[in-house]
Amino acid sequence: MAEVKTKGEVIFNRAAIVAVLIALVIMLTPIFWIGATAFKPRNLATTAPPTVFFEPTLSPFAKLFTKRSQLREPVDEATYAAAPWWEQLIYDGGESVVRNKKTGEATSSGYGNRYMNSLIVSIISTFLAVSMGTITAYGFSRFRVPGEQDWLFFILSTRMLPPIVVAIPMFLMYRAVGLYDTHVGLIILYTAFNLSFAVWIMKGFIDEIPREYEEAALVDGYTRLQAFRKIVLPEALTGIAATAVFCFITAWNEYAFALMMTSRNAQTAPPYIPSQVGSGLSDWTVIASGAFLFLLPVAIFTFLLRNHLLRGMSFGAIRK
Amino acid sequence: MADVMTRLEPDTRAAARGLSDLSIRNLFIIPTIAFLIIFNVFPLIYSLYTAFTDYRASTSAPANWIGLGNFRELLNDPNIWRNFTITAKYVVISVTGQVFVGFGLAMLLNRPIPLKGLITTLLLLPMMLSPAVVGLFWKLLYDPSFGIINFFLGLGKFEWLADPQMALWAVAIVDIWMWSPFVMLLSLAGLSAVPKHLYEAAEIDRAGPFYTFFRITLPLVAPILMIAIIFRTMEAFKTFDHAYILSTQPTTELIAIRLYKMAFLEWQTGMSSAFAYIVLIVVVAITNIYVKYLNKAKAR
Amino acid sequence: MHRSYYRLLTGAAAIALSASAASSQELTIFWAEWDPANYLQELVNEYEAETGVVVTVETTPWQDFQTKAFTEFNAKGSAYDMIVGDSQWLGAASEAGHYVDLTQFFNDNKLGEIMAPATVKYYAEYPGNSGKYWAVPAEGDAVGWSYRKDWFEDPAEMAAFKEKYGYDLAVPQDWNQLIDIAEFFHRPDQNRYGIAIYTDNSYDGLIMGVENALFSYGGNLGDYETYQVDGILNSPESIAGLEAYRKLYGFTPPGWSKTFFVENNQAITEGLAAMSMNYFAFFPALVNPATNPNAEVTGFFANPKGPNGEQFAALGGQGISIVSYSENQEEAFKFLEWFIKEETQKRWAELGGYTAHAATLESEEFRNATPYNEAFYQTMFMVKDFWAVPEYAELLTAANARIYPYIVGGEGTAKEVLDALTADWEETFRKYGRIQ
Repeated sequence: MAEVKTKGEVIFNRAAIVAVLIALVIMLTPIFWIGATAFKPRNLATTAPPTVFFEPTLSPFAKLFTKRSQLREPVDEATYAAAPWWEQLIYDGGESVVRNKKTGEATSSGYGNRYMNSLIVSIISTFLAVSMGTITAYGFSRFRVPGEQDWLFFILSTRMLPPIVVAIPMFLMYRAVGLYDTHVGLIILYTAFNLSFAVWIMKGFIDEIPREYEEAALVDGYTRLQAFRKIVLPEALTGIAATAVFCFITAWNEYAFALMMTSRNAQTAPPYIPSQVGSGLSDWTVIASGAFLFLLPVAIFTFLLRNHLLRGMSFGAIRK
Repeated sequence: MADVMTRLEPDTRAAARGLSDLSIRNLFIIPTIAFLIIFNVFPLIYSLYTAFTDYRASTSAPANWIGLGNFRELLNDPNIWRNFTITAKYVVISVTGQVFVGFGLAMLLNRPIPLKGLITTLLLLPMMLSPAVVGLFWKLLYDPSFGIINFFLGLGKFEWLADPQMALWAVAIVDIWMWSPFVMLLSLAGLSAVPKHLYEAAEIDRAGPFYTFFRITLPLVAPILMIAIIFRTMEAFKTFDHAYILSTQPTTELIAIRLYKMAFLEWQTGMSSAFAYIVLIVVVAITNIYVKYLNKAKAR
Repeated sequence: MHRSYYRLLTGAAAIALSASAASSQELTIFWAEWDPANYLQELVNEYEAETGVVVTVETTPWQDFQTKAFTEFNAKGSAYDMIVGDSQWLGAASEAGHYVDLTQFFNDNKLGEIMAPATVKYYAEYPGNSGKYWAVPAEGDAVGWSYRKDWFEDPAEMAAFKEKYGYDLAVPQDWNQLIDIAEFFHRPDQNRYGIAIYTDNSYDGLIMGVENALFSYGGNLGDYETYQVDGILNSPESIAGLEAYRKLYGFTPPGWSKTFFVENNQAITEGLAAMSMNYFAFFPALVNPATNPNAEVTGFFANPKGPNGEQFAALGGQGISIVSYSENQEEAFKFLEWFIKEETQKRWAELGGYTAHAATLESEEFRNATPYNEAFYQTMFMVKDFWAVPEYAELLTAANARIYPYIVGGEGTAKEVLDALTADWEETFRKYGRIQ
C-alpha cells in the first residue's frame, strides 16, 4: 500500500475514493433492484416507469416457502380473516396455498429443504476442493514432479470441456453407481469442478511464498509436514480464503448439474428460484426473494473472510 | 518449467525426522490426479465414442458408427463458423472488459480507504448471484418499458436486446458486471504482494507513475492476473445461462447455446459430442498459449 | 419487521417439516412447474382421500422439463410412473418405447368420443391417423387473445376508429381487423402499443405465434402423413399468414424481441398493449385484480378467422402418459380410469385445469365459469399443432433460424423465408428417411 504523503497524493487518494464510490453504485444498483423487488407487492415489480419507492411487504417470502396456485378471484372476507398472517400475504398476491386435503396442512415449496441441501453440498465440497487443492498445489510448487506441466495442464483441462456434453454420460454413471439424487453425488461433482481451479490458484499463491522460510524451519528441526502446516499454510491464507470464496460461489450457484443429477431428495435451490416464472405472470418478487435469501450466506461468508482476502499475498518481501 | 525459484533438493535431515519428501509429494498429488481421472474417464470416453456415431439419447435406437461424419458435417456448416466468430468476439469483449474494470478497481482499492473490507465485500456481490437469476433480472433491467437502466440513464426506449448488433454487447456487459469482481479480487491479492521498497526505490529515481506502473506493478501482478484471465477465458467460452435467458438473437448465438440446442432440444447426441470436442481442441489451444505467457511472466 | 421476519422463517420451517407421510402405494406424476401442476396436485389429493394411493406431482422448471424427462427415459428410470408430456414428444417417446401403448385403454373407454376430437388427434395419437394412442388428453391448451375492453369501448376511440377504418371498433372478427385494431392503438408517444405477440425463438414460442396466423390464413406446415412440405409450407396462404404476423410485429411495444407468455401477460397488466396473445393456461392471472390491476377491463376472444373464413389456433397443452419403465403400471392404469371419469374431469375444470373432456367443455356451467372459458371452448375445436415427429426440434430450430430474422429484423421476404425453410425441412426429412 502506498503511503499518502504529498498534497498531490492526498488529492489523488480522494479522487480514488470518489471513483470507488461511483463504481460501488454502478455495481450495486442491479443487486439493490433485486433486493428491492424481494420486498415489493407483486403488482409493483414491473411497472412502466419502474417503481422506486414503495411500501415493503413480506408477501414474496411467504410465497417463496409455499406451494401456491393462482386465484381467479379474491377470497371471501371470512376466509381471509381466518387465515394466518402469512397466508393473508399470499391472498394479497392473488394466490392461495395448496393444502393437503386430508390433513389440511399447507404444502411446502421445498425451498427450505433445498436451501439446506445447498448449504450441505457447498460447504463440504468447498472444504474438500480447497484442502485437496492446497496440498496438491504445494506438491507441485515445491517438489520435482515428472511431467509437471502436463499434469497441471491435465488438471486445468478438466474444466475446459463444455459441461453440457458430459451431462448424459455423467447422469448414466451416477445412476449406475447409485450417486443419483444424493448429497454425496453432488459433493463429489462440485469438488471435481472446483479442484482444477483450486490447484491453479493455490499454486499461484504458494509459488509466491519464499521457500527460504521453510528452509529455515527445516534447519530449525521442523519436519516437512510441520513446516507446511506452521509456515506455508499461514502464509497462504489469503490464497486459501480467495479460493474458498470462489469455490463456494461456484458450488452454491451451480444450476445445470443440480437439475439433472438430483430430484426430490438432494436438489439444491438454484434450479428452484427461476422456476417461479411458472405461473401466469412471472412472479418477479418471488424470484427476487429467493435470490435475496440465497445471496446472504455467500455474502456473509465473504464478509467474514474479508480480512484474509485483503491481507495480500505472503510478505512478498523476498522478490528479487 | 522456467521457474526462477530453485527447487528444494530432497532434504535428508528433514526426511529422517518425518515422512520423506517423496512420500509427501505422492501423498499430496496422487489422490487429486487419481480422483480427477476416475471422475472424468467414463464421461470423456463415452462422449468421445458418441462423437463418431449418430447416437440420439432420446431414442432407444442403437448408435451407428459413422466415422468422421459428424465432424465433416459440422466443419462444413457455415452456421457453426458463425457461432465461433460470435463467441470469439464475445470472449474478447467480456474478458477485456473484466480485466480493465477488475484490475482498475483493484488499483483504486489498493490504498488506505475507510471501510475497505466492507467495500470489497460489496463489490464482490455480483459474482455471488446465480447466473440464471442474473439473466432474468438483467432482462428486466434492460427492458425499454419496465427497466431501470433506460429510466436512470434517460435513454428513453433504447432497445438493448432487440437490436441485433447491440445484443451481444448487452450480454457481454452483464458478464463484465458479474465477473469483474473475480479479476479484482485476484488482482488485489497480487498488488498487495508488490514489495514497498520497489516503489520507494522508484520514487528516489524520480520515476513517473507510468514507469512505476508498467515496470514495477504490472510485471509483478502479471502471474496472478494471467491465471484470472485463463479462467475467465475458459468460462467465457462456456457462457450459457445468462446469455440464453437474455437473448436468443442469431447474432448472440454462442457456442454453448448452439451446443445446448443440439444436445438437448434436438437430441443429436453424437453430433453435439463431436462439436464439443472441436470446442475442446480450440480451448486447449488458446489456453496453451496463455499458459506459455503465464510461465514467461513468472520467469521475470 | 424483524419479528415478523422471524415468524416467517419459523412458519416456513414448520411447513417444511410437515412433509407427507409414507404410505403403502405411491404414484409419481412428472410435469413442469406451473399452476396447472398445482391444480393437478389438488385433484390427486382427492384421489388419495378416496383410494389411499398417494399421488405426487413432481415438477421441474419449464425450460428443463423436456431435458429431464428424456434423460430419465434414456436411463430407463422408474422415478416417474406417469408424465404429462408435450404433444410434440409423442413421436420421439412412442417410437423409442418410452410410453406405454394406451390404444387398448383408449378403445375400451371410448376416449375418442369422450374427449374433444382435436385433442385426441394431437395429444394422443401417433403417427397421424394410425389409431394408435399414447396419452390421455389432460391439460387442454391453445392460444387465445386478451384485450382491453375499456380501450375498445371508449366512445371517443370508437368514433375515431369508425372514421378511419369504416367499421365499428369491436372484438376483431378476422385477421384484417386484428391488424387494423393493432395499428389503431399503436401510439408509442403515449406509451401505448397495439399488440403483444410471441417472438421468443429459444424454443417454440415464436413458431406457436406464427402458426395462429399461418393456419387461419389457410396455410399449413406440411402434410403430417406423407411429409410433403413443398407447395404447402410455402403456399400463397402460408406466405400471407407469415406476412400478417410480420405486420403485427410492427405494432408491438419496444424491445419485443424475446417474448413469450410472461411478457405477453405483462403487456396487459402493465397497460402496454391493447391486445395480447397467450395460452389460455395463463389467463387466470389476468382476471384477478390482485395480479392484474386491469382485471375488470380485460376481455378475451378466440383467435379470429383468416381472410378466407378459416379459423384455427395453435395448440399447447399436454396429455398424460404412462412411462414404460414404471414399476406401478397397474396402479397407473387405475388412476387414469379415475382421471377420465366425468366427475373427475368436472372437478379438474373447477380447480382450474383445462379439461379436454367434450361433455364438460360443452356444458353451460363450464363455458360461463370464467370470462375466458367460452373462448377456450370455441378454440378447443379448432386447434392445430406443429409436427410431432421425433426430429421435431430440428424442424423447430430451422424454423426459428429462418423466420425470426424476418419477423424481428425484417430480413428478406415471406416467400424467400418459407421457400428456404421448405428446403431445410425436406433435407431433414430426407436425412431421417421419411421422404426420398
